[in-house]
Amino acid sequence: MIHFENVGMRYGMGSEVLKDISFNLKPGSLHFLTGASGAGKTSLLKLMYLAQRPSRGKIRMFREDVGVASRSDLPRFRRRIGVVFQNFRLLDHLTAIENVALPLWIAGGKGAEIEQHVEELLTWVGLEGRMNARPPTLSGGEKQRVAIARAVIRRPDLLLADEPTGNVDPAIAKRIMHLFVELNKLGTTTIIATHDMGLVRAATANRMHLHDGRLQIIQAGDREQEFQEEDFDPAEYESRTLDQKEFGPRRYDEVDEGNGA
Amino acid sequence: MKNVVHFLPDEKNHEATRLLPYVMAVMVYLSALALMGSMMLHEGFGEWTETLSNRLTVQITSPDPDRRKDQVAQVTQLLRNTPGIDYVRKLNDVEIEKLLEPWLGEGNVTSDLPVPDILDVTVSRTLTVNLDALRGMLAKVSENIHLDDHQQWLGRFLRLMDTVEYTALGILLLVVMATICIVIFGTKAGMAENRKTIAIMHHLGAQDGMIARAFQDRFMKYGLRGGIIGLLLAFITLITLIYLSRDLAAGLVKVPRFPVMQVAVLVVIPFFAAVIAMLTARVTVMRDLGRMV
Repeated sequence: MIHFENVGMRYGMGSEVLKDISFNLKPGSLHFLTGASGAGKTSLLKLMYLAQRPSRGKIRMFREDVGVASRSDLPRFRRRIGVVFQNFRLLDHLTAIENVALPLWIAGGKGAEIEQHVEELLTWVGLEGRMNARPPTLSGGEKQRVAIARAVIRRPDLLLADEPTGNVDPAIAKRIMHLFVELNKLGTTTIIATHDMGLVRAATANRMHLHDGRLQIIQAGDREQEFQEEDFDPAEYESRTLDQKEFGPRRYDEVDEGNGA
Repeated sequence: MKNVVHFLPDEKNHEATRLLPYVMAVMVYLSALALMGSMMLHEGFGEWTETLSNRLTVQITSPDPDRRKDQVAQVTQLLRNTPGIDYVRKLNDVEIEKLLEPWLGEGNVTSDLPVPDILDVTVSRTLTVNLDALRGMLAKVSENIHLDDHQQWLGRFLRLMDTVEYTALGILLLVVMATICIVIFGTKAGMAENRKTIAIMHHLGAQDGMIARAFQDRFMKYGLRGGIIGLLLAFITLITLIYLSRDLAAGLVKVPRFPVMQVAVLVVIPFFAAVIAMLTARVTVMRDLGRMV
């Protein structure tokens, strides 16, 4: 699905923010992307959602060399990627339903079918009463759900989420995580960038850890690696196996907010 | 749900381009005035030159009335026998009085005023009159006979006509260039204002053409709206000017009349403005988007 080979990236003439990044992600896999602030998580995500080009190295996605693809080909790839931005990036002048409908409209969908599809999804994420609300009138959690709905409305092959739980309370964060896990089970390759180590340790997923622009893949359950990390909390680690049960395939609004990890 | 989502914010929220229709209105107003003025003058000049281009005037200024009468008959006969001259007619007193009225005022042409006899000569459009030879023959009749072919005056007139028309075209060109520059600035400002929206649309997989279409449609509307306003104002201005100047000419010159059919062609100006605005916006957006990833 995603293949990076010795990828480096710099902004302008600055120093490299990503250095020699090499990895291979299989279709349908779920990964967390972790690292301290400034480690390069957002830059790596930008490369993956094709908002930046690598300064060097090779990026293959969807079996094509997207790193050197022509501009006119990029929209075709971008339509296969769903992105949940840290700050949501919703269009404030459009309603929730219009925001979620944008990817379908861009792909050439027609009014009636779009409407039905979007309404179903917004109902599924618990926003049935807020469909015609504009983002400035939505709460942080509601915006997050609109952003997520927009990212998944076309059943993307790849879902990228940048700090999707960064702006919401723990209960909403847990809801969001359940949604991602469910989508992943449906076959969407998922990468979630987060600072929230509690969230990471509560899920059975491999981890892509960035440190000073370099990437390290940590297999799920690799205690040795996790013990070496500065912010490791043994008590939290031990409770993880219990909390993993939370991420079952349930309807989003059926998740019990009280049993947080 | 509509088939098309207007992803750019409402025009009223567009601080950067809110005034653009008014600027377009001013540009179209200036272009229309330049064009209409040029067309009217062209029409008017055309009529004047048409009137004068195949006419000669012969003045007989001999002080002795009897002698002058003989000379009129002699010159009339001479002119009628000259190849290339179709028609010779002596102006009567009433016609001469009318010619002098603009200078002397109505009723001030008295019988004791020494007024020359004037022959109005119509020259053939197909044959050429040898004016030098004709002057020579008239001089033999009397040194008080003057032939005026209006060429000196007509030449200056034609030069003025050309200058006015080229000036109008120059103004039009400058206005079109200024309009293009304004639309470029407006489009760039609009893009800067909607940078976030454009980035989001890109991330969601929108083609450059889709984004450009939103801008070009908007600028086309600005151009059309401004164009209609500008053209209406130009028509009002011109009609007012013609109305106010109707009594000023007082027979000296004929006021150019409003060439309705030609000026009607100017209704294409708003569409032209809309097309210029649309194309400029499209090219600007496509070029700017092309520099993005």
